[in-house]
Amino acid sequence: MTTSPPSVDGASGAPAIELRSLVKSFPPRRGSQDTEVRAVDGIDLRIEQGEVVAFLGPNGAGKTTTLDMVLGLTEPTSGTAQVFGRRPREAVVGGHVSAVLQTGGLLRDLTVRETVRMIASTYAVHSPVDEVIARAGLGTLADRRVSKCSGGEQQRLRFALALLPDPRLLVLDEPTAGMDVTARRDFWDTMHADASTGRTVVFATHYLEEADAFADRIVLIAAGRIVADGTTAEIRSRASGRTVSATLPPGSVTGAVARLRTVDGVREVEERGSRVVVTAGDSDAVARLLLLDLGGTDLEIVTAGLEQAFMTLTGDGRDAGHGRNDRDAGDARIPDEELVR
Amino acid sequence: MNATFTLLEMRRITRDWAGMFFTAVLPAFFYLIFGATVTAKDQTIGNGNAAMYVMISMAAYGAVTATTSIGGNAAVERQQGWGRQLGLTPLADSSYIAMKALIAMTVAAVPILLTFALGAATGARGSARAWALSAVLCLVGSAVFAVYGLLVGTAFRSEAAVGAASGTMVIFAFLGNLFIPLSGALLTFAKFTPLYGYAALARYPLTEGYLPDGSQDPLWLPVVNVLAWLAVFGAAAVLLVRRGRERQ
Repeated sequence: MTTSPPSVDGASGAPAIELRSLVKSFPPRRGSQDTEVRAVDGIDLRIEQGEVVAFLGPNGAGKTTTLDMVLGLTEPTSGTAQVFGRRPREAVVGGHVSAVLQTGGLLRDLTVRETVRMIASTYAVHSPVDEVIARAGLGTLADRRVSKCSGGEQQRLRFALALLPDPRLLVLDEPTAGMDVTARRDFWDTMHADASTGRTVVFATHYLEEADAFADRIVLIAAGRIVADGTTAEIRSRASGRTVSATLPPGSVTGAVARLRTVDGVREVEERGSRVVVTAGDSDAVARLLLLDLGGTDLEIVTAGLEQAFMTLTGDGRDAGHGRNDRDAGDARIPDEELVR
Repeated sequence: MNATFTLLEMRRITRDWAGMFFTAVLPAFFYLIFGATVTAKDQTIGNGNAAMYVMISMAAYGAVTATTSIGGNAAVERQQGWGRQLGLTPLADSSYIAMKALIAMTVAAVPILLTFALGAATGARGSARAWALSAVLCLVGSAVFAVYGLLVGTAFRSEAAVGAASGTMVIFAFLGNLFIPLSGALLTFAKFTPLYGYAALARYPLTEGYLPDGSQDPLWLPVVNVLAWLAVFGAAAVLLVRRGRERQ
């Protein structure tokens, strides 16, 4: 039982994850009128080694099902999933990929150390048990029963289990679901401390702030499809562009609104008393027009929040203007305009 | 086979004192009450005496209580997410099943050894062949009820249901002619219940099929009973596991 990172073999240049036309459908429930449910509806995705990627989407968007196929827990209905250029199950057996799954799935009557020892025993080569316990911040809890651990502590135990094979790809499925704010911060602190090693990390979440704070790249998923894919900054600007507002001279507002509507890339123009509020992709052109030609003063340019972007892209855009926080809409639709890639 | 994994599983099961009491201590206690201390204990039955008849019955009861609960809890654990956790490891399904089977057989051996040891100390008498063969039949036959536990665990997905399944063993044990000698119509009905065949088979080396009421079962009767119930439990379990997989 020695520790050494899994050997980097011939497939070392392969992407960490490669999904091609991935589809997973489930038969309708017995006795229901529904047709089959397409949980994952054609996903193409390539994640390179060393990336930290967030799968962001509302509940029921297909994040977990997609990750299940990456981990070989579920077979795709059609399409392929590859991990480091091989079949997911092979990657799991080789210790190249591991995961922290959603709640559930621990034996309550084992202690923390026994759980780690038990899972460790299934690997031919693994990190030392006490080392992963320490790295997951469970040093003082090692002899506690799982049933006596809080939700956050159990999640750190799952994290310890995931560290055992020293995987090159770590998948986290809603790792902080059900945790309170403190436990969530503690969990991500532990993750940050471990992330220095150059591991590829893919995590699913519906907490925007988590995706924003931890990921280099966000893959936005709704209704089983990717609706946006890019850095957090890109996602923000692609979704809603920027909002430009200015105060106009009295009497010129109506004419200015009409003129602003003709500018390329302007999505929305709103009158608020003597101010106009313009949502546009090209904020510079709008600003120039407002200041130079329309006599605008008190100019403001604001980048839309990630939250607004999220709601626009997942089809909850109608609520975005009111700043509502309803991201759990399971029936999120895909916007008509192709905002992706 | 993985020694660390198997030993940790064993430790978990023996840590459950209530479970171990019902599995190991209760059957031994029943033997003392119904077998060792009754006046008719030295009465000759087949190749031995009445105490031995009761001893084998109680050992069989303890063994099936153990295998039912281990089989059932394995099914419940897997469905409550432990199966997904194990799915992230190199552990193959076949190794998992082999380990669980080994554990079930080991735990089932506890009440058998305990009851047989008490029997030897308190006047159970029989031929050496009857002692050895009935112990083996108790152990091997109890595997059928691991499948029964698996079936209940898969169908109801809760530890409470598995507890209830272990509990129903008491009823099956009455009907299986394990606790009190049955006769008449009830005995005829009993021959179709799940524990009857197993218990009759375990006692066969002692009784050669003779029952307390003087009648005799031909060997094929308990054999057919055991195989039929194994087929019923097995087919239902396969059906449920398959349906569970489709749904997921």
